[in-house]
Amino acid sequence: MKLQEYTASAHNFEECMKCTICTAYCPVVPVNPRYPGPKQAGPDGERLRLKDPYFFNQALKYCLNCKRCEVVCPSGVKVADIIQSARIKYDHAQPKLRDVVLANTDFMGKLARPFAPIVNGTTALGITKTVLDATFAIDKHRTFPKYSGRSFERWLKRRAKEQAKFDKQVAYYHGCYVNYNYPRLGKDFVKVMNALGIGVQLLDKEKCCGVALIANGMSKKATKNAKHNVDVIQKAVDAGLKVLTTSSTCVMTIREEYPGLLQVDNSGIKDSILLATRYIYQLIESGQAQLKFKENYRARIAYHIPCHLEKLGWGIFSTELLKMIPGVEFTLLDSNCCGISGTYGFKKENYEASQAIGKPLFDQIKSVNPDFVACDCETCKWQLEMSTPYKVKHPISILAEALE
Amino acid sequence: MRFDTVIIGGGLAGLTAGISLQEAGQKVAIVSAGQNAMHFFSGSFEEAAPVRERVSALFAAAGVRTNAIDGLQLMPMGKFQPVSLTLEDVTVFPEEHIAEKALIVNFTGFHDFYCTFLAETLEKAGTACRIRFVRLPEMEHLRTSPSEMRSVNIARVLDEYWEKAVSDIRILLGDEDLIILPQVFGLKDASVLDKIRTALPARVAFVGTMPPSVPGIRTQMLLKRRFEVLGGTFLMGDEVTSAALHEGVVSSITTRNLDTARLFADHFILASGGYFSKGLAATPTQVYEPLFGLDIDYPAERKDWYDADFFAEQPFMDFGVKTDALLHAVKDGEPVKNLFCIGSVLGGTRKEDYGTAAGLAIRTAFAVVDTIKGGNV
Amino acid sequence: MKRNEYDVIIVGGGITGAGTARDCAMRGLKVLLIERHDIATGATGRNHGLLHSGARYAVTDQESANECIRENMILRRIASHCVDETDGFFITLPEDDLNYQAKFVESCLAAGINAEIVDPKEALRMEPAMNPDIIGAVKVPDGSVDPFRLCAANMVDAKLHGAQVLLYTEVTGVIKDGDRVVGVKTYNHQTHKSGQYYANITVNAAGIWGQRIADLAGVKIGMFPAKGALLIFAHRVNGIVINRCRKPANADILVPGDTVCIIGTTSTKIPFEECDGVRVTPEEVNLLIEEGAKLAPALASTRILRAYAGVRPLVSADNDPSGRNISRGIVCLDHETRDGVKGFISITGGKLMTYRLMAEMATDLVCKKLAVDKACETASTPLPGSGEKSFREVAEKIWENPTTVQKAAAGRLGTGAARIQSADSLDQSLICECEEVSVGEINSAIERLDVNGLTDLRRRTRVGMGTCQGELCGCRAAGLLAKAHGCADRARADLQDFMTERWKGMYPIGWGDALREAEYTQWVYKHVLGV
Repeated sequence: MKLQEYTASAHNFEECMKCTICTAYCPVVPVNPRYPGPKQAGPDGERLRLKDPYFFNQALKYCLNCKRCEVVCPSGVKVADIIQSARIKYDHAQPKLRDVVLANTDFMGKLARPFAPIVNGTTALGITKTVLDATFAIDKHRTFPKYSGRSFERWLKRRAKEQAKFDKQVAYYHGCYVNYNYPRLGKDFVKVMNALGIGVQLLDKEKCCGVALIANGMSKKATKNAKHNVDVIQKAVDAGLKVLTTSSTCVMTIREEYPGLLQVDNSGIKDSILLATRYIYQLIESGQAQLKFKENYRARIAYHIPCHLEKLGWGIFSTELLKMIPGVEFTLLDSNCCGISGTYGFKKENYEASQAIGKPLFDQIKSVNPDFVACDCETCKWQLEMSTPYKVKHPISILAEALE
Repeated sequence: MRFDTVIIGGGLAGLTAGISLQEAGQKVAIVSAGQNAMHFFSGSFEEAAPVRERVSALFAAAGVRTNAIDGLQLMPMGKFQPVSLTLEDVTVFPEEHIAEKALIVNFTGFHDFYCTFLAETLEKAGTACRIRFVRLPEMEHLRTSPSEMRSVNIARVLDEYWEKAVSDIRILLGDEDLIILPQVFGLKDASVLDKIRTALPARVAFVGTMPPSVPGIRTQMLLKRRFEVLGGTFLMGDEVTSAALHEGVVSSITTRNLDTARLFADHFILASGGYFSKGLAATPTQVYEPLFGLDIDYPAERKDWYDADFFAEQPFMDFGVKTDALLHAVKDGEPVKNLFCIGSVLGGTRKEDYGTAAGLAIRTAFAVVDTIKGGNV
Repeated sequence: MKRNEYDVIIVGGGITGAGTARDCAMRGLKVLLIERHDIATGATGRNHGLLHSGARYAVTDQESANECIRENMILRRIASHCVDETDGFFITLPEDDLNYQAKFVESCLAAGINAEIVDPKEALRMEPAMNPDIIGAVKVPDGSVDPFRLCAANMVDAKLHGAQVLLYTEVTGVIKDGDRVVGVKTYNHQTHKSGQYYANITVNAAGIWGQRIADLAGVKIGMFPAKGALLIFAHRVNGIVINRCRKPANADILVPGDTVCIIGTTSTKIPFEECDGVRVTPEEVNLLIEEGAKLAPALASTRILRAYAGVRPLVSADNDPSGRNISRGIVCLDHETRDGVKGFISITGGKLMTYRLMAEMATDLVCKKLAVDKACETASTPLPGSGEKSFREVAEKIWENPTTVQKAAAGRLGTGAARIQSADSLDQSLICECEEVSVGEINSAIERLDVNGLTDLRRRTRVGMGTCQGELCGCRAAGLLAKAHGCADRARADLQDFMTERWKGMYPIGWGDALREAEYTQWVYKHVLGV
């Protein structure tokens, strides 16, 4: 290698030019002054932490890991990765019980599902919410996502035979949300794929992608999940399948966070795990398949791009697909974090910040006044439906309902 | 994905070209590796005089108002600089004696606005100055973090509470005929500038601060929105990883995020900026254009790249991609038929024809847009 | 004694002069220190900042090695806030002779240096940045020492003991009464006034420039200026000092210091006339990177912040004009016995970290001449700021929940950080974001530490020493100076000098990220701020 041909530093922190653009776009900085901001918490702090770990600052936990700093950085610094890696490396405090509960999305799902009516009833009750607020510090304004009585996995397993009849096949990484809370999205996905002439199969027992575990300081467990998921996705890839998902956060985590934060090698699967809208768009654009839509479908749609989709740079696939539907009046909302950031907004201490972060977005939605909002992310959906009077639909569900 | 034109770089040059082409009915995509130099904008489009009417019209359609008049801009460190086209934030003075008496107002603890320097310069030109500070309780929470009394954060507070600042300034105002304020107003919406001008009983002049530039960020946001409203595709935070260039023609480019979904176009415009933006790059032994490997002239000896005096003209600032008369990029001595270069990636190579800095960005963007529109490429 | 009469005048505000001023003052003498620039502007601030264990000299020069280890242990006690107890490795690369290791360890132990052979694998675990091809490693008690902090602490303590310090004051002549030096003529570069100061003894502690001072006194000292170039990398690549286990050569020491690490040095003899304003050549830069990458391969692709060079004050011990007997050890010359010039002493040679011993030797001689019978106490009396074992202890003693900027201040000022403790959040606001320097720390430096301009401020606070090299903090700090000194014109000129001084170290390594930063800084200063 030629000397000094390029600079290599962990997450490119040395490439930081101190321009402070990241700080100008960080959604947390304006609402939480205890957060030192991405530049200080990230590249600046990293130099100090390399000098002495004593410089690790607990306030790094206020980072949403929305990755907006990385999207706007003109130098390619992985600011959010620096911050999250520092948390993994230096923060050895045991996570609170509340955080453990919130982070274990799949475990909670498994536990709650058989008792769904009771759990849903209980968590919706004012008294329960007050108890959660007081004992668990889960903000009482939050409504827990409902748990579905029957998991998506079971639903699809029962249809395995009919799905197998399709010549073309894909595997589906449905994620915790589709499985336990909102199987409807999974069903919509199957409907759209079938309309494209493609059958859908499950992976060989996927686990939670681990994003909430990372956020709540449980990186060891996240790493275990990551290794498992890479293995089962690899199996599907080896069988010649593409693996699709409807969750922008799951796919971002598997593609970016596994190698970047958890040091789990995903090189064998990275190119094969895709967001469903990307796969479908490319299929249609290349003329390999087409979708037939209802002639009388009409909708005024405002599209909100989730942070992690912005990071992936794949919003264009979802928006281009929606624009293909005749009768859609499309508005692209300004790129703005909704404030929920997975489990972040559920925590009592973050509630106010969370709502303040999302406010410009809520305001813009109200001024656009669409029929409904489109968005690829499940937690954005919770936040937007709680904070505005509008319903939020996944682009896949919109495709499904517009199909002839 | 297919476009008429793909632009690499979403700064002033890229957006100017993108908006113009989109207005002309083209389907355009801009690939932007993060935000750009608009965030360090002085508010003055240097050397853009020859095209100022055209720029003003283009910007006006995006909601960006400009002053297309000759005069002087008061710079943050106290120097007066001749200008011919500025954002509306910049107060353009006819002469250095800008007032009999001026009140310079800053926000307590804001270290990126240099009152003492301004006062000393103005006093020399016969303007008596008083410096006063405003401390708003609404701003106090910013102080919790030692790095947050910065232009953008203050501007966010003032977007909401500017009226409180105005009341405080009213109280501080004596018999001054001019009030000088830092450019920390109107991050989202420039209309607050007019409201402040109306609400205060003396003339108001806004003077720049240390970056990030509040007017620059607002302008960038409005231009990007204009481009998108016109139907343009703005790929923020993505970067070009490779290009298909055969026999002097670029057929497509590949980006990090879209990888297999390559971008095809009839024309490509390289607006990737200078060294900061990585449009140009240097190692100990060479200066190069990293994307296409375009031709650059520079001295072989590294010591000749710099002047030991920081404030002298630096040779490295003049290195840039070689182009032909129509701004086609030159590679291995031959022009690439459908690849144009605009803005700082040109360095000082086209100084004579298009100037430098913001002028270079806009003038080369217009020149290439005209070439593409004329079909005479 | 009159106002301008002293027991001793010390010429030179480097570490030797500052240490000698402190020692003399502590022994009750009336002291005046005269420095033509600022503190630590010569070789003091232009070396590795290595707290030698002495191991480097063990094989070739047992006396130097022994001096080093003794002073090493003393500095850990008296200057804890200036010292980082990192330890050091002497590594053997495949191209080096492993047989040298045994001889090296034996010599270390003989000099009283605790040298311990470590299995290469274990050594790599302890210091992952090290070249993984090593075939041998020896651990020694090296460390790093901050020269600016050390010099400032000595200066402050000298003043606390009654010494007077004149900065930016150049000695233009030596006043003689027959064969006796009785004082010096001076010129102040800031007030542009001349002066005369008298003393029984004048100590020449002007480093390489001591030759000129000696000339003025009519004494010949044969200095052999040797330029040494170094590179600063933008962050700590290594946590432990890395040396090559072989005969000392070019670029064979990598020292972690504060937030950065430093590789050096080269050694080139230069004409005396070039001592002022030495510049680093592209060849030197290339050599430093090439050799440095052998110690720690990451240096091949780590961002470089700047290049700089110092001039070692090497001297021929016996007035030998041929230079055959150049010593790197301490040289204390009594010009009365050597040259028949009374009242004049030169103290030179040595190393940054043996300054205290040099000061003791010089002061002993001064006291002998003045018939003052007082023992040296500098080896046991901590410097101001020194005390706690670690900056963590310092920070937590002063603040309940120290913030990042408070931790950084505790690291720089030691217990002196208590002075900038402030209830007002305004004082906590950051001026320098790379190195975490607050308004409070800067104002305190301006008030207490003889700060004339931004470059002086940098030496006392690390303002502008971080990644952006003054791009962000230069203007902010200039604003504070303009306010403190009540003069914007001066501050503006000072800012220009500061940026030019920063640029001097940047353009020799002006490629990659350094060039990106340079373009950005050019843009901000010329187009946005209009400097």
